Amino acid sequence: MKKQNKVWNMEYGAGTNCSLARNIFTVRTLLLSAYCLLLSIYLLPTVAYAHKVSIYAYAEDGMVFAEGYFSDGTRTRNSLIEVFDAKTGEKLLEGKTDNEGKFSFNIPKATSLKLVLHASMGHRNDYTLSAKEVKEAMGIRESGVRSQESEVRKQTEERSSRLSKSATPMTIASGVSSAEIETIVERIMDRKLQPVITILLKLKENSEKPGLTEILGGIGYIIGLMGIAMYFKSRRKG
Amino acid sequence: MHISEGVLSAPVLVTGALLAAGGVAIGLKKMDYEKIPEVAVLSSAFFVASLIHVPIGPSSVHLVLNGLLGVLLGWMVFPSIVVALTLQAVLFQFGGLTSLGVNTVSMATPGVIAYYIFNLPIRKGNNSVSALAGFAAGVTGVGIGAILVAIALISTGESFLGVAKLILFAHIPVMIIEGIITAFCVTFLKKVKPEVLEVSK
Repeated sequence: MKKQNKVWNMEYGAGTNCSLARNIFTVRTLLLSAYCLLLSIYLLPTVAYAHKVSIYAYAEDGMVFAEGYFSDGTRTRNSLIEVFDAKTGEKLLEGKTDNEGKFSFNIPKATSLKLVLHASMGHRNDYTLSAKEVKEAMGIRESGVRSQESEVRKQTEERSSRLSKSATPMTIASGVSSAEIETIVERIMDRKLQPVITILLKLKENSEKPGLTEILGGIGYIIGLMGIAMYFKSRRKG
Repeated sequence: MHISEGVLSAPVLVTGALLAAGGVAIGLKKMDYEKIPEVAVLSSAFFVASLIHVPIGPSSVHLVLNGLLGVLLGWMVFPSIVVALTLQAVLFQFGGLTSLGVNTVSMATPGVIAYYIFNLPIRKGNNSVSALAGFAAGVTGVGIGAILVAIALISTGESFLGVAKLILFAHIPVMIIEGIITAFCVTFLKKVKPEVLEVSK
């Protein structure tokens, strides 16, 4: 066996023109790559993915709720989140995520907010909340800025006066103001929508994991590059 | 071990890119026809390995395999890793295209070091010596890689010792697993196909 190996070695080392050696080699390489492929497919459903962080945030009730996670679903615990004014780039506040990768804070300014998550070891990602989203979240409840609040109140009052003027007086007549109705509806909606939001977040998280297409695509690229490299090297040789 | 986009400052990124370009050039020069498929197969292995998450430890870490690639490829580890990292950045959003140079240097350099120290004992030693050298190569690959990442991160204002400790600590499980995988691979290859371990000078 050892001798055979040696002979083969010699052929392989000396005779680049020896087609037999080359054929054996390519067959082995193909087998190896096929094995690699099979292994990766076999491992797919059981392995989790790592090494990319994502951050997602939404604004509600004058607060911003942010959540950070690695691409394998692990939460980014105890990681720094910095909040910037997306327009001026001014840093507004910073804080750390809790054990579930969550971080929430009162909206510091009615503007578009950029949240930057720094997970350990050079991982970083950001998420920008639009000014519209932030302002909506501030205007709805009391916790927001006064001017916003009064604007909303004015709007609702206008609406209710319009309603009372109309032919059918509806529920306002029974002593419940439309602002109160709005609050109640919102509270119920919040409760009902919570699971839906959770599901959406999960879906978003899953869609960011690399799938089979990406993996096979990448391996395909590598095989293609190998072909190109071999083509050029073989041409140079003559 | 992939540094994301937007973390490092421009001088660090440029230095990393230049060093990586140099390494890739040397690697391409040393790469002869017969070695190309091996470089490609190992590149694929590296590409896929980053998806294998190691669930032990405080942070989210994955296999790197740079020690194994280094021992088998020598300087050719640079082209092999740069291809895989580019694809990881484009397809998985791991790391980033601007930090490609720094990431290549931090993962390929330990491979080259592992090659110079451990390739000879793996080839010439008896079974247990080569297994041990393989294990050490796997550990070295990840260990030195972690230190290089820490060095790159100094420029962001994080203290070197703090980051180095954190990264090394997080990668201890990976180092051990990589050591075992590398030891297994080299002893197997030595028995089945010893010429794979030879790298042209």
